[in-house]
Order: sequence, then structure tokens, then C-alpha cells
Amino acid sequence: MKKTDLLTPEGTRDLLFEECAAKRTVSERITRIFEDFGYSEVITPGLEFFDVFSGRTWHQFPQESMYKLVDGKNRLMVIRPDNTLPIARLAATRLSGEELPLKLFYNQNIFMVNPKDSGRDDEISQCGIEILGGKSDAADFEALVLAAKALSACDEDYRIEIGDSGIFTELMADYECDPELAVNTRGWIETKNIPQLEARFADPKTPEEEAFKALPRLFGGFEVFEKARGILRGEFFKERIDKLEKLCQELSEIVPKDKICVDLGLVNKKDYYTGIIFRGYVEGYGQPALSGGRYDRLLGEFGRNAAAVGFAVNVEAVARVLLKKDKSSFVKTPDVIVWSENPTSALKHCAKLISEGLTAVNSVLECPKCTKKYAKEHNIKRVDIVDKDGKVSNEEV
Amino acid sequence: MENKKIRIALTKGRIEDKAVGILEKIGFDVTDLRNKGRRLILNIPNENIEVVLAKAADVITYVEHGVCDLGVVGEDTIMEHGGKFCEIADLNFGKCKFALAVKKGTDFFAGYGVKTVATKYPNVTRSYFEKQGIDVDIVKIEGSVELAPLVGLADGIVDIVETGTTLKENGLEVQKDVAPISARLIVNTVSLKLKQKRILEIVDLIKGVIE
Repeated sequence: MKKTDLLTPEGTRDLLFEECAAKRTVSERITRIFEDFGYSEVITPGLEFFDVFSGRTWHQFPQESMYKLVDGKNRLMVIRPDNTLPIARLAATRLSGEELPLKLFYNQNIFMVNPKDSGRDDEISQCGIEILGGKSDAADFEALVLAAKALSACDEDYRIEIGDSGIFTELMADYECDPELAVNTRGWIETKNIPQLEARFADPKTPEEEAFKALPRLFGGFEVFEKARGILRGEFFKERIDKLEKLCQELSEIVPKDKICVDLGLVNKKDYYTGIIFRGYVEGYGQPALSGGRYDRLLGEFGRNAAAVGFAVNVEAVARVLLKKDKSSFVKTPDVIVWSENPTSALKHCAKLISEGLTAVNSVLECPKCTKKYAKEHNIKRVDIVDKDGKVSNEEV
Repeated sequence: MENKKIRIALTKGRIEDKAVGILEKIGFDVTDLRNKGRRLILNIPNENIEVVLAKAADVITYVEHGVCDLGVVGEDTIMEHGGKFCEIADLNFGKCKFALAVKKGTDFFAGYGVKTVATKYPNVTRSYFEKQGIDVDIVKIEGSVELAPLVGLADGIVDIVETGTTLKENGLEVQKDVAPISARLIVNTVSLKLKQKRILEIVDLIKGVIE
């Protein structure tokens, strides 16, 4: 036997019993919301051509983070590293005849190669939506409401955070610098690296430099908008901030205000998002459990010009939080175990119990005695023995 | 909501001593931290703050996974280790630099042959030379890197330089500075948002007492 016969690859794991139950609970609660709101489910292949995810200058997936293999024609393939790009491809091809807007949801895994020994998952189960086309403001609002609903359906201890990727993009467009500084500045704002920004822009010469320094601090409650107006001046920013504030105000009519926060320093690493950008956090998970935003350029890349907004929830992250809080609610114990000499009577009796709303296990053990022992070990409270004539005697364990 | 426990990870050793000094200056009760014995988790009474002691790279790991909210760690470890977290303040101590050092009188960049660099920080070294567009061979050394050029394993080293005494005593000199280093305060991205008020309070207290 080889060592690898017995192990799962790093970054993956077997899920057992209550772990599966928790994960299923989360994905069912979330997909239920999507279905209730009239979204249609899609499932895309686990394998895609490498080219779908590379070659686009502004949202390339780093090739070292994708699992790759070759197909029968020796072409390079990847194991699905993302859910949005395949859906964009789908919208531009199979769904090209369908009128917009299209509201789609998915519930499937993505795979990525994480740095060795980082303890991060290489297989991530995502449940999410994409709204393709339609009026942008209305679609943004709906996506935010559904994001909040998705998290609150699972755990009350959540937060939805909203920003606008357009703010940084616009600042950078007005600011002349070498590409390296642009990349660094974006990274510093993303990681709220205030020391680096303070050092690099110690003596700000333009309003943009002033703004770069301020962006990482522009997060918190609704008071952020007022603060931002003092720093981000000009018609463009006024419009964006007003719009974002209105969106948050409207959201607070549906979602409790203390669950909504704002971060104008949210930037996306690649120029993927073009408008609002948002995240969801749950207490007990150290990284965002939900992320999404508006991406108006992506579909055009696949040949169908349409604006879009979407988000994905990390299902397993939420499931783990729920398990940590209350494992017992996911542990399933059958109500009854049934034993009979005659397998037909046993299964018939099981079916009867099930029709009454109970869960029933058919004992495939040798005798009533071992069945009782098994019941005791597995915490099953009731044992039903069915005799030759079909008479049932039950015993509490 | 805002009164949740805050857990701070400190890098054991010199950074820990300085950080405890800062916490004391703020007015926190650090008796537990001063008399820690072999304990790794310590309490700051009345503040609902727990202090965890860890090795530098582990501070990043704990903060990244969100099991610690805040961390104090050197920029050197951040540069080498990377990760997803917010780097919110420069603590202005533990100041030193990454530098490329060579045997005295030699020029690392001379000639066209591919050079060999010995270092404890392969990632820092790789990204530095990548940025310059220079191919180098990198050899990872665990102990005193200064030895490598002396015995002929490498043409130069990339290492942390504080005073330069070790370099001098071994006949080496700095040829180029790579990056300045100091201790940083890092925060878990989610903690920063979910415990914003308390964390920013602590950050401001810390900023208030550092020079």
C-alpha cells in the first residue's frame, strides 16, 4: 500500500455526518431564497479550457493558483477555479438567444491551489447568483438584499459591507504614475497599509494622493459618507457617494441598519469589478464569507455586451461557524431501529414508520440482541421487533 | 457587541518586550505579561484583552485565520510570509533594513554570469531581483548567512542589517539597501469590521504612545 492511498490531498477533506448536514442546511437555506426570488439554477462543467481563465489582461487568474490537466487532444484544461466566468461564457453562448435580464444561481465547488501549509481550503463550495442585464441600480439593490438574506438565513451574527470599486479606478485614472506604483498603491489600500501610504505620500501634491491616504480609513457606519465628501471632491465622486448612500439607506429599510457597514477603501485586485463591490462577514470566520460586486465588462469579453452583478457565499465557511456554535443540532439520530427474521416485514414496517414521520433504520444484524446493543451504542431510543406473523413488539432502550 | 474579547498576538522576544512596554505606557495592567513563566496565553485584566505569544510567522498565521484579532510582527516576516490581513500601523521600533551584502571590495552586479545569493528570506530575495529583472540562483540558509560568501557558496547575501557589525567583522559590506523594516501592527480583516470600535480604540491608544 502506498502512503497516498490513505490520505486526501492537502487543502481537501472528507466531510462526515453532521459536517454534511450543516453544509447541506446552509446551501439549502440559501438556494431556497434564490428560488423563491425566481432565479434559475445552472450547473457548469467541473473542467474548463484554460483559455477561459487566462489571456484577459484585466482579470487573469494567476496560473499558479489553478489546478491544470490536459484533455485527450492534449489541450490544457483547468478544474473550475471560479463560477462567474463560466456563467459569462454560458450567457454569451447557450443563453445568447434568451432575453436579458437573466437571473441565475449556482451551487457548486471551485478549486484553487493555495500556498503550501497555509491551512486554507483548495476546494471551496460556493452558492451564488448572477443578475445579467437589467437596470443597474435595481439589480445592485436586489443583489445586496439577497446577500443579506442569504447570510441572515444561516446566522444572525453577520455584516454586509459595501463599497464602490469605481472610486479607486477614477482616482487612478486621474493620477499619473508608473504602473508599479499604481499596483502597489492598490495593494496598500486593499490591505489598509496606512504606514506605507503615509510614507509614500508623505507630502501629497495632488488631491489623488490625499485621497489614497484617506481611503483606508473611510470605513464604518453611514457617517463615512459625510467624511468621504470632505475628501473626495468633484462631480464624479459626489455622484458616486450620493448613489452609494442612497443604496445603503434603501437597504436599511429591509436589513437592520447595524448589519450594514461601508468601506470606501474596498478595491479589487484586478479591474474585475466596475461598480459596487461588497462583502459579507460572519462572526467566527476570519475571511469574508461572501463577496461580490458589479462587473460590466466581463460578458463583453465573451461576445455579449451586458452589465452584470453577482455574489457568492462560501458555504462551508458558514457551515463550520454553525457547527462550532451548535454541533448537536446537526447530529442526526434515527428514531427507531427495526429487526425481523423476514427482511420484507422489516422493510415494510420501516416504510410504515417513515410514513408516520419517523426515521427508521432497518437492522441488518444477526439477532434482536445485537440490534439492541447496536441501538444503545448509537443512541437510538426505540427498537421494534417484527415477528413471523407481522406482530410488532417495541422496546425503549 | 463592542465588548467582545480582543486577542493580540505578539512576536516573542525583542518585539514582545517593546510591545509590552507600549501596552504598559497606555496604562494597561501588564503584570501577567511580565510574570508569564512558560505560559503562552496571558490576560490584561479589566480590558477584556488576551495576549498570545508566538513566533513571528505564526503571528501572521493566527491573525490571518482570525483566531487572533491583532498582531505585532516585523515587516521582514510580513514581506517574506505575505498573507491576507490589514497592516494598520507602523510601531516605529525594531528598525533595521534588508540589504544585499557582498565580500568587501567586490561588486555583485559585475560581469554577465548568473550570481548566487544566500539568504534566510528566499521570497524577499526573489521579488527584489525579479523587480530588477536580474536572474539569480537563490540558496536558502538557516543559520548565519554571512558564512556563505566567505566559504564561496554565494556571491552575496540578502539579510537583515541592524548595525552592520556582524558584516564588518566578517569582511562583508552592504552593496545595496533592499527595504527598510520596522515592527507593524496587523489586524484581521473581519475583526476590523466586526469589532471596529474597540480595535480602532486600541490602535489609537497604541499610536498615542509610540514616538
